[in-house]
Amino acid sequence: MAMLSLTLRSLLNRRYTALLTISAIALSTALLLGVERVRVEARAGFAQTISGTDLVVGARSGQVQLLLYAIFRLGNPTNNMRWDSYRAIARHPAVAWSVPLMLGDAHRGFRVLGTTPDYFTHYRYGRGRALEFAAGQPFADVFDAVLGADVARQLGYALGHDIVISHGTGAVSFVQHDTLPFRVVGILAKSGTPVDRTIHVGLAGIEAVHLGWEGGTAPRHAPTAAAVRAMELTPQAISAVLVGLESRLALFGVQREINHYAGEPLTAVIPGVALQELWDLIGVAERALLAISACVVGVGLLGMLTAILSGLNERRREMAILRSVGARPLQVFGLLMSEAWLLALLGAILGVVLLYGALWLGRPLIEAQWGLYLAIGPLAPREWAVLAIILGAGTLIGAVPGYRAYRYSLADGLTVRV
Amino acid sequence: MTDATTPAAQTGPAIQLAEVQFRWRARAPLVLDIPALTVAAGERLFLRGPSGSGKSTLLALLGGVTTPQYGTVEVLGQPLHRLGGARRDAFRADHIGYIFQMFNLIPYLSVLDNVLLPCRFSHQRAQRVAARGAARSEALHLLRRLGLDGALAARAVTELSVGQQQRVAAARALLGGPELIIADEPTSALDADHRAAVVEVLLGECAALGSTLVFVSHDRALEPLFHRALCLTELNRAGTV
Ligand SMILES: Nc1ncnc2c1ncn2[C@@H]1O[C@H](COP(=O)(O)OP(=O)(O)O)[C@@H](O)[C@H]1O
Ligand SMILES: [Mg+2]
Repeated sequence: MAMLSLTLRSLLNRRYTALLTISAIALSTALLLGVERVRVEARAGFAQTISGTDLVVGARSGQVQLLLYAIFRLGNPTNNMRWDSYRAIARHPAVAWSVPLMLGDAHRGFRVLGTTPDYFTHYRYGRGRALEFAAGQPFADVFDAVLGADVARQLGYALGHDIVISHGTGAVSFVQHDTLPFRVVGILAKSGTPVDRTIHVGLAGIEAVHLGWEGGTAPRHAPTAAAVRAMELTPQAISAVLVGLESRLALFGVQREINHYAGEPLTAVIPGVALQELWDLIGVAERALLAISACVVGVGLLGMLTAILSGLNERRREMAILRSVGARPLQVFGLLMSEAWLLALLGAILGVVLLYGALWLGRPLIEAQWGLYLAIGPLAPREWAVLAIILGAGTLIGAVPGYRAYRYSLADGLTVRV
Repeated sequence: MTDATTPAAQTGPAIQLAEVQFRWRARAPLVLDIPALTVAAGERLFLRGPSGSGKSTLLALLGGVTTPQYGTVEVLGQPLHRLGGARRDAFRADHIGYIFQMFNLIPYLSVLDNVLLPCRFSHQRAQRVAARGAARSEALHLLRRLGLDGALAARAVTELSVGQQQRVAAARALLGGPELIIADEPTSALDADHRAAVVEVLLGECAALGSTLVFVSHDRALEPLFHRALCLTELNRAGTV
């Protein structure tokens, strides 16, 4: 106790160096914890994006690419699959349900997904949670739209709002179809999945937007909504299909069958497997980032060692005085060790404060940018462990100057020359 | 203010050295070779000698900082040469007040906290101070006796003049009335006026507390103030290197 208050005052006396040291440790700690947290949240968010779907089917492509556009709404399908291929899959005796997905359009930067109302019953996330409606109901009419939670919140849309869907996926589109607006009939509750950032309409709605666009140029005479409703709007092709099977025992058989489908080259992926592959892909970068962050913490702690060691020579006198009034070598050792401990502790605490500050400030940005929702919860056991390691390493590092001071005070003791 | 007669030893000598030989390292030259040295309890001894003659080294032996390769060092009846490092540390903390030539104070502690420093490390000294009253007021009392008023006590030691700093160091050495005060050229950084003042109060306090004083200095003008004056070269057979 006597030593700790001495340590504190000694540090206060050197507060600028101490503050710099603490800042370095704090920043590196915050960085490491931040990377760790984003990593864990990303992985969890990832694995929970889709559940209950046995197969995702699309035109022949890599399984990661298929997963990215069909589930994560990232990138675009290079090819569509034919409608009759979808019908064939849907009719397969082992298939319990199937939901067609059509992508390629956007509204103010949010992806528009053409699908069937079944999507809302069969799409599951987390541990089999179904999508819930915060307001309204699934689309029924050609020009009905259901918004993901983020779409409604960020664009400030409510039920009954009219929206215009643009051709293509850019945030700003020059070709917009003002004449055929969609009406918001449903808003989904937040799910923490890409669904939140999606606008859902019926397949017929997507077809309606594209009426007359087949040549690639805007149609001369836009049809009226009533005329569109009277049309037969079955698509020629779709982007992907979500498939649920009667029995998971048939999984590999059906997957193989689809992969060898005679009508056109198709790819069927098992979401869990593709997610794992995708994660392994990201995992390398993730682990590299973690390693770099750990190194930064190491650099921060080495900075502390440098600061303490370089100050030590000037403080030889201080040590000798302490020894002369009765401090034991071990207490002098403890003085230096507790200094390192205190610096590391303050650094770690400040690091946690920084982490939460950054999380709080950065969360909306990260969510808007990557759809990654970072929960601001208490520290996880792993994070506590990281902090404990930093504190332990910092304290251990203090043993170096501690030992030197210990040696000094023994060798020079009271005969320290000025 | 100091009587020049040697006080009667009531409890045996404070310091007794016999056949002491000391070198700092195994291959280093012999620094001390002292056949005998006795200092009575309550005696105030003046020790001089040329620079490098081993005065500080002798004080290190008396303070239990180190032990001789040969011979015996008994301080206040304790055979320091036989005690382990930890025991000697505890002994020093409990029974010895130490004053250096200069830079005696911890820069980040106030004047008062510097004086109170021994109480942090020695339970026995803390208790002895407590027996006379609160440690704070005891420290303030000592500072006042040494010519430093209460307003100074809360100041940072770095704001003090060298003379004031040495008086603070003296107050610290005296706090809790340790039986032995060791002063290693405490006045050499002071001008003549301050020198006399510091030495006088130091001697006065030692007399009041009954402490034994070993005082190293080059300034022979101070000699008459002490019970006895010794030159280390006469005492030390290893004097000629
Ligand atoms: N801590 C030490 N380690 C090694 N040698 C020392 C140490 N202190 C003093 N010496 C050596 O011991 C000799 C006597 O030094 P010292 O006792 O300081 O003399 P004085 O105090 O009389 O000037 C010198 O040669 C000095 O170099
Ligand atoms: Mg000396």
